[in-house]
Amino acid sequence: MKRLIQLEWTKISSYGFFRVILILTLSLFLLTVFVFSRIDISMPGFTWRNLFRFPDVWPSFAWVASWFNLLLAILVITIAGNEFTGKTLRQQVMAGLSREEWLAGKGILILGLALFGLVMVSLAGFIFGFIFTGDLNVGIIFEKMGILLVYLVQAIGYMVLGLLFISVLRSNALAIILYLLYFIMIEPIIRGLCPVEIRPWFPVKIISHLTPLPEFFQITSGEALGNNNMTFESIGLMARQLEGSITIIMAMVYISVFGLLTYLVVKKRDL
Amino acid sequence: MEYWNRTSRVLGILVLFGSIIPDFFVFISFYLLHSVISPVFEVNTRQNMILETKQLSKSYGSIKAAEDISLSVDSGTAFGLLGPNGSGKTTTLGIIMSVLKADRGSYKWFDMEPEPETYRRIGSLVEVPNFFNYLSLKRNLEVIARIRGTDTSDIQRVLDITGLLKRSSSRFDTLSLGMKQRLALAAALLGNPEVLVLDEPANGLDPEGIAEVRKIIIQQKEQGKTIIMASHILDEVEKVCNHVAILKKGKTLASGKVNELLVTDDIIVIDSDNNESLKKGLEEKGLVKSAELKDDIIEIIPASGVSSGHINRFATDSGIVINQLYIRKSTLEEQFLELVK
Repeated sequence: MKRLIQLEWTKISSYGFFRVILILTLSLFLLTVFVFSRIDISMPGFTWRNLFRFPDVWPSFAWVASWFNLLLAILVITIAGNEFTGKTLRQQVMAGLSREEWLAGKGILILGLALFGLVMVSLAGFIFGFIFTGDLNVGIIFEKMGILLVYLVQAIGYMVLGLLFISVLRSNALAIILYLLYFIMIEPIIRGLCPVEIRPWFPVKIISHLTPLPEFFQITSGEALGNNNMTFESIGLMARQLEGSITIIMAMVYISVFGLLTYLVVKKRDL
Repeated sequence: MEYWNRTSRVLGILVLFGSIIPDFFVFISFYLLHSVISPVFEVNTRQNMILETKQLSKSYGSIKAAEDISLSVDSGTAFGLLGPNGSGKTTTLGIIMSVLKADRGSYKWFDMEPEPETYRRIGSLVEVPNFFNYLSLKRNLEVIARIRGTDTSDIQRVLDITGLLKRSSSRFDTLSLGMKQRLALAAALLGNPEVLVLDEPANGLDPEGIAEVRKIIIQQKEQGKTIIMASHILDEVEKVCNHVAILKKGKTLASGKVNELLVTDDIIVIDSDNNESLKKGLEEKGLVKSAELKDDIIEIIPASGVSSGHINRFATDSGIVINQLYIRKSTLEEQFLELVK
């Protein structure tokens, strides 16, 4: 384990693209939440600032951070892809690394990047939460913090799917393009062709729904309106979604399936 | 009587124990001896057999890259895989290094089914040098050292051997092809493995570099390492290896000891006023192994014990005037080309 961590670190620590993507993710995320926090939409009964107050800061920041999961997935695709296209994986296997160990190394990388995201969201959440929350009490700080773990699962899901794409396609450009197309076009089209009952069960749907769009109306209206039933689903803005717990379980099932498929592909094929 | 009875009973018991106890000791000592000796024998049998392949075959679509390749490499040998481009050398090495999957056949390293850990005992350079472009030479070797479980302090040594010490902190993609090849050799030497698998080690090197790399390989051989080397350059195989297998279009054409398989016969070239009858006469007399008529000369390989003097005398006796007669050394190159024709 220690050996694999050291190996993975040796490979990426002086990789420019790796640093650039991490800095980009961090700065874009901070910039986004900062700009959002400066917007002041004043409508009677709604307070935009509620999105940045404990405990609602957690779901809203997790949702913003989830946009950048695509960047992390592209980073994983590139790092793993370099080892396929540059044939360095071949060199490593000849030096005595097993294909399982290589995959475990990539698992460590994915976990590390997901933890990076988690730390990023938590720190930003704490900072903004403390600034924006008027009447602090310990209870509300941690109330909805569980969503951060769900964010962790989601980030892993995005990256594991990316790893599967690059393991099958073995071309960085092709894998990145198809991966993005799968997210924004291919799966939505397939979903559209399927019966309504099946639609929520698709992998990207499940994984991206882990950190759902915060219920703006509910949150921003706060207690002023007392209208807690006004969800996107109830007013017809969003299609029917699965329940949170089922979504998490299904996401984990999909992550395992993607991981297993990647393992089979890497195990069977020539390097 | 009773006394004797008792005495004999006591004696009997004594004899019984007397025989059992030494037996027991003998048994124990044999057992101990066995457990001490047998691992020694096991190690010996293992050490002898480095690599054995049985009918390795692999095809890419309709192209048969390797067909029924069976090799056996003993400890301490320098084994050459010789063949023109596309003869299946790299495919064979790829299979035995576990990066390519054979369609058929099997192979064993150190008389065992290979595990990923087995390859930590083998230094390899297969095809082109594959390293991380964005990492320095030192970092690249660190990756290999971490995989092998070798101490990273060994990096300095292999960089020194391959003459790359000055460039150790340059990025890999700034190197020339020759230097990349040296780095690949450095990676193969890392951790001082007992077996080296080298594929065209002189690829991309200048004459000086070729000589240096060859020197390094021969030094490794002299240290008792087993070397498995693929090359399309006969000279390289001849200078480094003592065993050779010749491949062509994926098949093994011949294999054996270099000095037996690639024997050098001298060729006598003759130009006379009647080449045809001289050739006929020499053949009838049994003075030649082979004779070949070429334009206005005859090329003969003399039978053993026959010198150019014998042939000259035979010609004079038969009334044939020899205009020119000289000995040409047959090159291995010619024989190699003859074999793969």
